[in-house]
Amino acid sequence: MKNSDILKVENVKKEFKNNLVLKGIDAEVKPGQVIALIGPSGAGKSTFLRCLNMLGKPTSGAVYFDGQDLMKLKDKQLDSLRTKMGMVFQSFNLFNNMTVLDNVKVAPIKVKKMADAKATEIAHQLLKQVGLDNKATVYPSSLSGGQAQRVAIARALAMHPEVMLFDEPTSALDPEKVGEVLSVMQDLAQQGMTMLVVTHEMDFAKNVANQIWFMDDGQIVEKNEPEAFFNHPKTDRAKDFLSKVI
Amino acid sequence: MKGKVVKLLMVFIMTFSIFTGFMNKNTYTQVNASASDSYLSNIKKKGTIVMGTAPDYPPYEFTKNEGGQAKILGADIELAKQIAKNMGVKLKIKSMSFDSLLVALQTGKVDMVIAGLTKTPERAKSVDFTIPYYNGGQSLLVNSNDNSIKSYKDLNNQSVGVQTGSTQYNLVKQQVKNASLKGMESVNDLVLALKTNKVKAVAVESATGEAYASNTPGIKAIDAKFNTAKAQNVVAFHKGATSLVNAANKTIKAANASQEFEKKFIPEASKQMGTSAKKQKISVWQQMYNYKDYFIKGTEYTILISIIGTILGLLLGILLALMRLSKNKLFHAIAVAYIEFIRGTPLMVQIMFVYFGLGTIVNVPALTSGIIAVFINSGAYVAEIIRSGIESIDDGQSEAARSLGFSSHQTMQIVVLPQAIKNILPALGNEFVSLIKESSIVSIIGVTDLIYQLRIVQADTYQGVVPIFIVMVIYFILTFGISRLLGLLEGRLKHEE
Repeated sequence: MKNSDILKVENVKKEFKNNLVLKGIDAEVKPGQVIALIGPSGAGKSTFLRCLNMLGKPTSGAVYFDGQDLMKLKDKQLDSLRTKMGMVFQSFNLFNNMTVLDNVKVAPIKVKKMADAKATEIAHQLLKQVGLDNKATVYPSSLSGGQAQRVAIARALAMHPEVMLFDEPTSALDPEKVGEVLSVMQDLAQQGMTMLVVTHEMDFAKNVANQIWFMDDGQIVEKNEPEAFFNHPKTDRAKDFLSKVI
Repeated sequence: MKGKVVKLLMVFIMTFSIFTGFMNKNTYTQVNASASDSYLSNIKKKGTIVMGTAPDYPPYEFTKNEGGQAKILGADIELAKQIAKNMGVKLKIKSMSFDSLLVALQTGKVDMVIAGLTKTPERAKSVDFTIPYYNGGQSLLVNSNDNSIKSYKDLNNQSVGVQTGSTQYNLVKQQVKNASLKGMESVNDLVLALKTNKVKAVAVESATGEAYASNTPGIKAIDAKFNTAKAQNVVAFHKGATSLVNAANKTIKAANASQEFEKKFIPEASKQMGTSAKKQKISVWQQMYNYKDYFIKGTEYTILISIIGTILGLLLGILLALMRLSKNKLFHAIAVAYIEFIRGTPLMVQIMFVYFGLGTIVNVPALTSGIIAVFINSGAYVAEIIRSGIESIDDGQSEAARSLGFSSHQTMQIVVLPQAIKNILPALGNEFVSLIKESSIVSIIGVTDLIYQLRIVQADTYQGVVPIFIVMVIYFILTFGISRLLGLLEGRLKHEE
């Protein structure tokens, strides 16, 4: 493992009831990279992303983060490692029992044992960053999908993660709300955040990502620069996929 | 139905007793045999003899409101007092349903049973009897305007009311052709059935029959003329308690010699008996008002049992739900087995099991038994309510929490449970409300809840329907009030979101 890699996976396989969903994946991520994971549905993109923070444990293989093999860690050590990897879900998953502000500050307080005042200050700052400080006191049920996803991003950022994992962050949104979420993500990318984004937004992949991983049938079939991938895909499967989506 | 359950339970307890070496193998004990057992000396050591009775059988035993206190009085009680006095010990009376009496005797809950009980070969198999202290006749209660019935022979193909487990039950069954037997626990209910023409006649012991006939307008007592020797009222003791039987026999012999029971105890008891509102020339409602303390006390007990049952049931339910959701296979299996077993058996059987079954090992008072049974029952249902409440929370909520670094414990405590509570609370409220209603079953072991008090007021006032109505209204006020309170609480929780 090269020192410059922030995340590295080796021969990761994942099996669900005798069905091999991930068929041995090798990949590495360098700090500051913005990687778009694209490919047909059922390719294993989300499953792969969830293997990276052990929300879904791989059946075999190794996942190195911060120099440690996550597969060998105990539950408690995993808990503290997850604080360094933020995750944003397709269905937002904001805590329904808390206000927007509490959603953002609860993890710093409960997990990092940060003082309430400090956590509140950071939370307001992050909410401003995603343009939603005026919604601090409301409950998630009164937010639109786009607003909820921006809060979810702020919530993940509150832990100061080293990597952000996005699992189809715009798939559950109305088309006119997609832009507001993507622009927050774009800002984040420009600030140098290391990001892995499972997405169907080809424009985002083209314009924001600096690396495309094309997945099909449980494998990463092609890794390429966006420019090269979209204009001169190396593999037939990628060509075939692109002809359908663009 | 109740009778069957009791029989089943008796079979169980007898089997149980054999294992614990509780049963004495002597099937018959000579009255004059010299007693070598320690029953009498134990009673003397204790200084008290506990008598079991079912006080809804005037003039033998009944309750009366004396200075706000429900007192158990009657001819049998007078006899019991003499027996206790001659043994040199104090008398303590425990009341319960007639069906439960012999089981209570066998399991040591009471030391003797005097309850207008007559001697039968079946009963003699499980308990020991004294010599008879009274030979009562058999009566039929019929509606006053019904002149078609002159004796048991006129009851062929008719429906006849009898007390479950009573001698009359067997007499009617054996001697009346094609009678349809309506077995009920209390004579009050039977009289009510008679007045509402559910049964053509009610077969009872004659002194009881006279008491009801003279206090209930519209019914009369006639001689049943059953083809039988006069029923012999006896005192029952634990099988093998020969020393007690002998001691009681001495008292009974002396009383029999002077015909004390017929000439003194019954007439005195009859004078003390409660009288109907009509005879007292007061309205039924006035009469019910005089018994308000009974209803209040019953309500208190019902609330007490329900509240303690709910709180302990909630704690047990939380524990069981966590065990069931736990990754530990053993905990999971124990919780599943417990929940399925408790939910698969009736509360009534559980109550009798706790009181009588556990009673063979440790002595648990009736109220405690009732509360224990109610909470072990409620715990199983609460566990399922909590489990389904927790499982109703979307997995995404805990995934989001775990991705932020929450431990599984924190995830449950900070994210899942607060949301689950909102689903759990309404269901818990329903459970509490149904517990109030279901707890009514504890009256069978003599816990003085609303139903028990209802029986007493019925027996005391010869009013069948009005007390039922009052108790119904009390139950409704309790359950409706609690539903509304919980509704308010729910509303406030919803408001927070």
